[in-house]
Amino acid sequence: MNYELNEEQRIIKEAAHRFLAEACSTDFVREMAEDEKGFTTELWNKMAQLGWMGLPFPEVYGGAGMSFLDLAVILTEMGYFCVPGPFFSTVVLGGLAVLEAGSEEQKARILPEVAAGNRLLTLAWMEEEGTSSPEGIKLRGERANDQFLLSGTKLFVPDAHVADTIICAARTGEAATEISLFEVDANSQGVHTTPLDTLAGDKLCEVVFDGVTVPKGNLLGETGGAWPVLNDTLLKAAVGKCAEMDGGAQRVLEFAVGYVKERVQFDRLIGTFQAIQHHCANMLTFADTMHFMTYCAAWKIAEGLPFEQDASMCKAWGSEAYHKLVALGHQVLGGIGFMEEHDLHLYYRRAKASEMAFGDADFHRERVAQSMDL
Amino acid sequence: MDFSFSPEEEELLQEVRSFLKSEVTDALLVESEELGHIYGGKEGRKFIKKFAAHGWLTPNWPPEYGGLGTSATVSFAVREEMAWASVPMIFVAAHMAGPTIMHFGSQKMKDEWLLPIAKGEVEFCLGYTEPQAGSDLAALNIRAVDKGDTFLLNGQKTFNTHAHVADYHWLGTITDPEAKKYRGMSLMIVDLKSPGITIRPMVTMAGWQTNELFYDDVIVPKENLVGELNMGFFYVMHALDYERMFPLAIYNRLLSEVAEYARTTSVHGQPLSKNPLVRQKLAQMAIEVEANRHLYYRLAHMLDNGQVPNYQASMQKLFATETAQRIANTGMEVLGMFSQLKRDSKWAALAGKAERFYRTSVVETIYAGTSEIQRGIIAQRGLELPRK
Repeated sequence: MNYELNEEQRIIKEAAHRFLAEACSTDFVREMAEDEKGFTTELWNKMAQLGWMGLPFPEVYGGAGMSFLDLAVILTEMGYFCVPGPFFSTVVLGGLAVLEAGSEEQKARILPEVAAGNRLLTLAWMEEEGTSSPEGIKLRGERANDQFLLSGTKLFVPDAHVADTIICAARTGEAATEISLFEVDANSQGVHTTPLDTLAGDKLCEVVFDGVTVPKGNLLGETGGAWPVLNDTLLKAAVGKCAEMDGGAQRVLEFAVGYVKERVQFDRLIGTFQAIQHHCANMLTFADTMHFMTYCAAWKIAEGLPFEQDASMCKAWGSEAYHKLVALGHQVLGGIGFMEEHDLHLYYRRAKASEMAFGDADFHRERVAQSMDL
Repeated sequence: MDFSFSPEEEELLQEVRSFLKSEVTDALLVESEELGHIYGGKEGRKFIKKFAAHGWLTPNWPPEYGGLGTSATVSFAVREEMAWASVPMIFVAAHMAGPTIMHFGSQKMKDEWLLPIAKGEVEFCLGYTEPQAGSDLAALNIRAVDKGDTFLLNGQKTFNTHAHVADYHWLGTITDPEAKKYRGMSLMIVDLKSPGITIRPMVTMAGWQTNELFYDDVIVPKENLVGELNMGFFYVMHALDYERMFPLAIYNRLLSEVAEYARTTSVHGQPLSKNPLVRQKLAQMAIEVEANRHLYYRLAHMLDNGQVPNYQASMQKLFATETAQRIANTGMEVLGMFSQLKRDSKWAALAGKAERFYRTSVVETIYAGTSEIQRGIIAQRGLELPRK
């Protein structure tokens, strides 16, 4: 067993940390939460130059051929700095879906553009029911000669307002899992995208597909056979989100520990009080357990091992542990942590957004229950 | 990173599992449970001697002292297997005294004690706590006076759990009452049959026994002093860093039995396991078991890489024992009214196991440092929060 990153991963981590410390201040994060687009081309291009957009894709598609574990290392640093923008939707959601479901032609056409930072992707799966189950997908994909006609409304589609390509999950049959994935040009006629105003300022969109025609060649995989790929992609996304949460948790812990070593009340550093120490000890315990569960799931994905139960376990645990950790951070920091000018609320907001993303704790506990044959 | 056992480790664990499967007897399980899974009973000794003959009691010890020279990972995994099998799993000699002798004992002491310990031939009883010295171990009163070739001991110990089944006392005693706190304590090995020792049973709410010990002019040969005089507190703390770890598998097994009960018990015409609340609770426990597994094997990883676990050991002990309580409580909730029934009741479920674990799981968050003490260690050593 080995609980540590290897040398190369440590170098990636430190380099990403240094780069983001410079390029992504919390002032910038605040600005982007208000910004219509939500990111800057400047930062995006720099990240692309570092090779991040192609990190998990094979070299034949212009990628770096690195593992999901390496990707988790980058996502952890992005979570630490609350990096805004469509990296997650492009690389993790859209990118991995194309990599899993796409034909050779589709992968060779799409992924090199993604890797170069020239094409933004997203994945549209959720609808009015607000669940990640196949039953919730009602948007119709009707076959009409050499085309498909997509009609319906997708909700909570991340970064759809800036995406070039939307990978859309549509119902193409009556059985619960008869789902197909389509590559949809976001500028197609009949695609209407509206950003939603959210707690964390992340850009989740309503996307109405009003009789959108999609060429047959844009079907990813078999008709009606996409649910396993979609499920797999969403589970990997859940693990990727946990990696972001891992980084965020680390930062919040640093806020709290730094503060209690400086703040004096009753003529003592508040860090000497047992109640404060126990809050901080609980925060570290949440952080460590989240970290190991996340990296174990990421390692299994990287090794090609079954990872479904690990993914659900880490998302169920991480969703609650991160929220509790930030709540303890608020308790420890007192009044100042409630102020807009302090950075803690950025994490409090994102903790809840992350908890909801790709299945909350209840959703994943149910998945764990299924894996236990309950 | 790598979260799997190596093929060689897996092979050894497979052997251990099949041995446990074929050699465990009902009589052993009954005794083990009655004693609270401490080592020293008649059946336990019979079984563990056979088990230890393979080197499995101390697999990570060097071969010359009766081990197999394996990784710490293997020894951690073996202890999980023993816990799952519900055989004796709390060993003072093999897991606490032995490693300290190996680190700090004289060559003579190593030669005398380590091999018999590795073979399971002797068991010790931990002798730390006194009525006024619980969490504050440095507040010991028991006194050992230098009499030339021997020490003369007088004083009292409490909650010394192995005393009624063990052979020797692993005793913390004051040897320099004038010294500053932490600097006047020594460790020594005392034959529990020595004249002047009185053992008084104290029965716990779990049903098993712990003890109070009275030392009344007890004579201990000087050669039984462990390491250097007045260094006892340091040795005890050092041993805790190496040895503070808590196998949870006996509770994992309870969880799996409760899950099976839920699958096979029908309420309102459908299995309990189909009730969403039951599903959520059992899944949550499985998740916490997994979180604990990582904290547990992180310790082994550190030891195998030449690091000394510190706050990490406290975190695992804290997390495991609190998870144990939640598993026991979840078991009670899922079994409902039937969870209260004792083993021999006509209507008992899981042979009364839930209520036994519910009672026993209380003390695990207390001994070897309460949860509050562990949180203090995590904060002060792990996060370097100030003491004053």
